[in-house]
Amino acid sequence: MTEQELINKLNDFKQIKPNKDWANWLLSNILLKSHQEVMIKPRVKLVSFSFIHQYQKALVSAAFAVLFASTFVFAQTTLPGNPLYPVKTLTQTTRLFLTPKDYKPVVRLEIAKARLSDMAKITDQEQTIVLMSQNIKKDLQTIPQELKNISKKQVTLKMSKQVQDEAKDLNNIISKTQLQSQDKDSLNQTVQDTQSQVLGLIIDTQEEIDNCPSDLKDKLANLQKYFTDNVQTLVQWPIDDITKVRTLLADISNDIKAGNCLEAMVKIDSINQILQIHSLDIKVETSTPEN
Amino acid sequence: MTEQEFSQFYKNNLDKVFRFIYLRVDKIETAEDLTAQAFLKCWQTNNDDSRMAIQNPQAFVYRVARNQIIDFYRQKNKTPVSLEELKEKGIEISQKSFVFKIELSFEMENLKKVLQRIKPAYSEVIIWHYVDNLSTKEIAQIINKNENNVRVLLHRALETLKKQVNKGV
Repeated sequence: MTEQELINKLNDFKQIKPNKDWANWLLSNILLKSHQEVMIKPRVKLVSFSFIHQYQKALVSAAFAVLFASTFVFAQTTLPGNPLYPVKTLTQTTRLFLTPKDYKPVVRLEIAKARLSDMAKITDQEQTIVLMSQNIKKDLQTIPQELKNISKKQVTLKMSKQVQDEAKDLNNIISKTQLQSQDKDSLNQTVQDTQSQVLGLIIDTQEEIDNCPSDLKDKLANLQKYFTDNVQTLVQWPIDDITKVRTLLADISNDIKAGNCLEAMVKIDSINQILQIHSLDIKVETSTPEN
Repeated sequence: MTEQEFSQFYKNNLDKVFRFIYLRVDKIETAEDLTAQAFLKCWQTNNDDSRMAIQNPQAFVYRVARNQIIDFYRQKNKTPVSLEELKEKGIEISQKSFVFKIELSFEMENLKKVLQRIKPAYSEVIIWHYVDNLSTKEIAQIINKNENNVRVLLHRALETLKKQVNKGV
């Protein structure tokens, strides 16, 4: 077959045509589709992960939270020298900062003890050990003062006893550290001083609590008797004053039970002032108990 | 391209595109499917504002048809391209309505088989140039080559086809 014959044969393929009905139907179907319907076509995208875009912000926040929490948790097991140890100390400092004033001494001692335990586990960081021991000393010296600053005697006594228990094995931990004997002695001395001060505080507070009721109870009884005997007079008082006196009497009773003598005395004075205002000739003893 | 322009374009090119596809596949139904998809794709792209306007619709529709054929042969052993795909795209198919036959002589059937046996690039340019009467310039636009390349390709394609036909004879 020559080239021309072949081309002629190929030309015969022009008789091939699609079915006219089908051609018309196809055109009308394509054109009938609205703009939006025609737009529907498969698009390549990660369908299975499409929710990521929807919850992107929440997922990023969650990822950061998990990362932060993991770091935080892991940091609690670290020792001085580890890059995450500052996270641990920061956590301890934050905990101390957030603790209510009355509980600070106990928490401070717990943290000092934990740092002392960390210190006992490291061997090759002399400078760090010395620095840590100095900070622990400061903490221990602060504890008695913080205990004294607690306003309620009952709480002071309770916290002091907790500190006393907590401080029992401090010397044992110190002995395990790699501090030089001179520094060890110094730290032991600080621990002993603290323990002594706390013990002194326990004894004093206990005495205060024990002595308090004998003096104040009489004053409270006198006041209660007066108001019982003079009910007719009280009827003329404003309702606010009556309520205030009742509240103060109840508080005084509770303060005496809790060993808060000073507070009880201040409240007795308040009641006396109210009585004076109403020009009553009743004298109630307000002398300060001898403590 | 407006609906009217598209209709005109469709009427001018449907036979050629259908022929181009039919000569490269076995069945009329397959040729219909692929032709429908090619024109549908053309219309979709035309309506998609996010894309650039189709500069050369004829070259575009041939290029799509060519890719459809490649995909068809690629997927032939897996899931054949079917009318179901069109149905999914919103085009309902009434298969019994359009059943028809294309009668080819024994010689023409043989020539069609030879066209399907030679390199796809050769059969493509032969169909475009000698069957659909596309100029070398138009072919060059479809396959993104210059006219000289197309002429060389055409020459080689025709030589190959002639050898294959004569071998068969």
